[in-house]
Amino acid sequence: MKDTLVSGEPKATIPSARGSRPADGAAEAARRRKKLITLTRPWLLLAPSLVVLAGLLLWPLIQVGKLSLEDYKVKFGGGESTFTGLDHYQDLLSSDLLWKTVLPNTVFFAFACVGLTVALGTAVALLLNRLGPTWKLICSVSILAAWAMPAVTGTYVWIWLFQPQDGMVSQLADSLGLIDAETTNWFTERLPFYVIATINVVHHGFPFVAITVLAGLLTIPKELYEAGEIDGANAWQRFWKITVPTIKPVFLVVTILSTIWDFKVFTQVFLMPGGSGDNPDVYNLGVYSYIEAFAKNDYGAGAAAAVLLTLLLLVITIVYIRTLFRQGEEDL
Amino acid sequence: MKRRVIAAGCIALTLGLTATACGDDGGDGDKGDKADGKGKTLTVWIMEGTNPDPRPFFKEVGAAFEKKTGAKIKVEYQQWATAQKKFTTAIEGGPDQVPDVAEVGTTWVPQFAETDALVDVTDDVKKADLAGDLVEGLKDAGTLDGKQYGMPWYAGVRSIVYRKDIFEKHDLKPPTTWKELQETAKKLKEKEPGMVAFPVAGGAEMFAAPFVWGAGGELATQDGDTWKSAINSPEAVKGIKYYTDLATKDKVSPAKVNTWTEKEVGDAWNKGQISMAVGGNWTPKAITDANPKLKGKLGAVPIPGEKGGMSKSFLGGSYLSVFDTDKKDLGWELVKLMTTGEFAAKWAKQTNYFPGQNSELKKIEQQKDPLVEPFAKQMLEAGATVPKTKAYGEIQASKVIPRMVQSILTGKSSVQEAADQAAKDMDEIFAKDK
Repeated sequence: MKDTLVSGEPKATIPSARGSRPADGAAEAARRRKKLITLTRPWLLLAPSLVVLAGLLLWPLIQVGKLSLEDYKVKFGGGESTFTGLDHYQDLLSSDLLWKTVLPNTVFFAFACVGLTVALGTAVALLLNRLGPTWKLICSVSILAAWAMPAVTGTYVWIWLFQPQDGMVSQLADSLGLIDAETTNWFTERLPFYVIATINVVHHGFPFVAITVLAGLLTIPKELYEAGEIDGANAWQRFWKITVPTIKPVFLVVTILSTIWDFKVFTQVFLMPGGSGDNPDVYNLGVYSYIEAFAKNDYGAGAAAAVLLTLLLLVITIVYIRTLFRQGEEDL
Repeated sequence: MKRRVIAAGCIALTLGLTATACGDDGGDGDKGDKADGKGKTLTVWIMEGTNPDPRPFFKEVGAAFEKKTGAKIKVEYQQWATAQKKFTTAIEGGPDQVPDVAEVGTTWVPQFAETDALVDVTDDVKKADLAGDLVEGLKDAGTLDGKQYGMPWYAGVRSIVYRKDIFEKHDLKPPTTWKELQETAKKLKEKEPGMVAFPVAGGAEMFAAPFVWGAGGELATQDGDTWKSAINSPEAVKGIKYYTDLATKDKVSPAKVNTWTEKEVGDAWNKGQISMAVGGNWTPKAITDANPKLKGKLGAVPIPGEKGGMSKSFLGGSYLSVFDTDKKDLGWELVKLMTTGEFAAKWAKQTNYFPGQNSELKKIEQQKDPLVEPFAKQMLEAGATVPKTKAYGEIQASKVIPRMVQSILTGKSSVQEAADQAAKDMDEIFAKDK
């Protein structure tokens, strides 16, 4: 019904402009086909990646969501699950450990890491931007080595450096009289533990920020700085008034990505002495979820913690993306 | 090529038939047919690291098994660190995913048995007349509600390992009571300040457990079907206090040891930094392999009891268990082959662990090797098992005991507070798994 109405209307206007009726019908069909193609083509082109994404991300996500509402028991040839509703969430959200230890650890640690990673990365990018080709190459290679190092290897290197009594940092601090190496174990207290973890994560994360910001820096026209210099702006002012506003989108991207990565840090904490469950003071959401699911075999509770982490990240990402888009509109 | 395969098959078939016919004396008639494995292959999961090079051993086992039943074996080596999760995933997948026969750590048996994945072999063990000869503590570890889920294959136990050269240098004797242990450790600390006199390793559950048992305490007690933690009983607390006081009061164990697991203790042994520590029967060989300079400088003694005698120590080991697949009869044949007689003795010899049968264990004890005998004594007379329930596996995985010990060592809580917290954590897991 609608179709005939729509196709009926142009008949009145077009004949005056174009020729006879049959030709008009053919044009109509062609236009409709074109419309169909414009509608479906993007989806057809996206289909392969959407299928892959759905298979690899969406399906597991749905499964984790489902698992968080169940008690799951492993059985030979297929497990048994009992629907428990929101029990796991209730347990999780009413637990002291979550509010006093797990969440603060996760959130403060992530923000400290993101702040330091972006600051250090930017500083290194500025440095690289000023270096001559030889030194630029040497510096780039050495920071890329830090980036390329697997998290496990990097973590062990930092553990060794801070090894109580025998590690280099411990011996240095002892010889300076800052600590008594025999009675100090940095891994057992929350703050030093997370300071070491932060150093580790920042060390592993800053090269990405440095390279990305450097790419941004290269797009800023030299004339802007020259103009600034003529107007008497010092280096500090030039950085904040020219560099930062010009490549703000780059900063937003690296901040979002770092936030996502640093919220879900697991390896670096789990591998540190006491990080795998011996010391509940240093739990973060990732480790907590792992211990619930795979140490206590309470898959539902572990899944609920994982869902909580996902939601937390989703909220943060949405906030960031909205800021990013608003930023984009302002620039236009 | 093809002809050769057929020929081999025929030989295997004949041998298999005769072998099963021989082995079937006294059994019921149809059993023999089931164990005929011509053309079949058993998948076997074995843990890596127990035997430095297990390949030649399994080549021999494979040949002997093929001769006996006609079936081949395919051994897949697994890592201790990840095997439990791999098993769990396979069990979830059912008979197609699990191995036919596997080495299963004694503390995993309750968890796997509960899923119905393991075959109850109680009757087979009786029929094969093996029941009487099994090391009691070890047999007990894999028996739930009267059902035995596999055959004990090998076992290990922890005692005390010490540096003989250092003891001789300072004219010290291996301790025989708790008081002596404390005095010896204090003297070692005084004379050898660069070494760790007696590591109170916060991450090593099985270092702490002997002192709980030695003081007359228990980790948990069973009442009918339910388990209840006993870690905060007065006896257990006394043991924990003695053990942690060694670090907090006597300072024989520096702060760095607070986060050590047995791995770090092993590393420190290899570097020659330890003078005395709780260690397994596998420890001396591991140390001298890594640091040949220490050969002949190590001694061992059972963990002393409070006032003499011995404190019990965890008797851990591996079972060979049959999974509930369509080849379970053949699987049992393989288990029998490997856990008795020649192959059991050979495995024990190659790995420095103890066999699961009294007769074989006695033979080893009689060899009077000073680095073996104390462990054998500990195993025969003072071995203990952890609570036999799936929940205790979860308690271990979530590190309830290390958490307790560490919070005492770091001064975050008193002994009683930490023990009460551990008891609460344990009971929560026991309650959840009922």
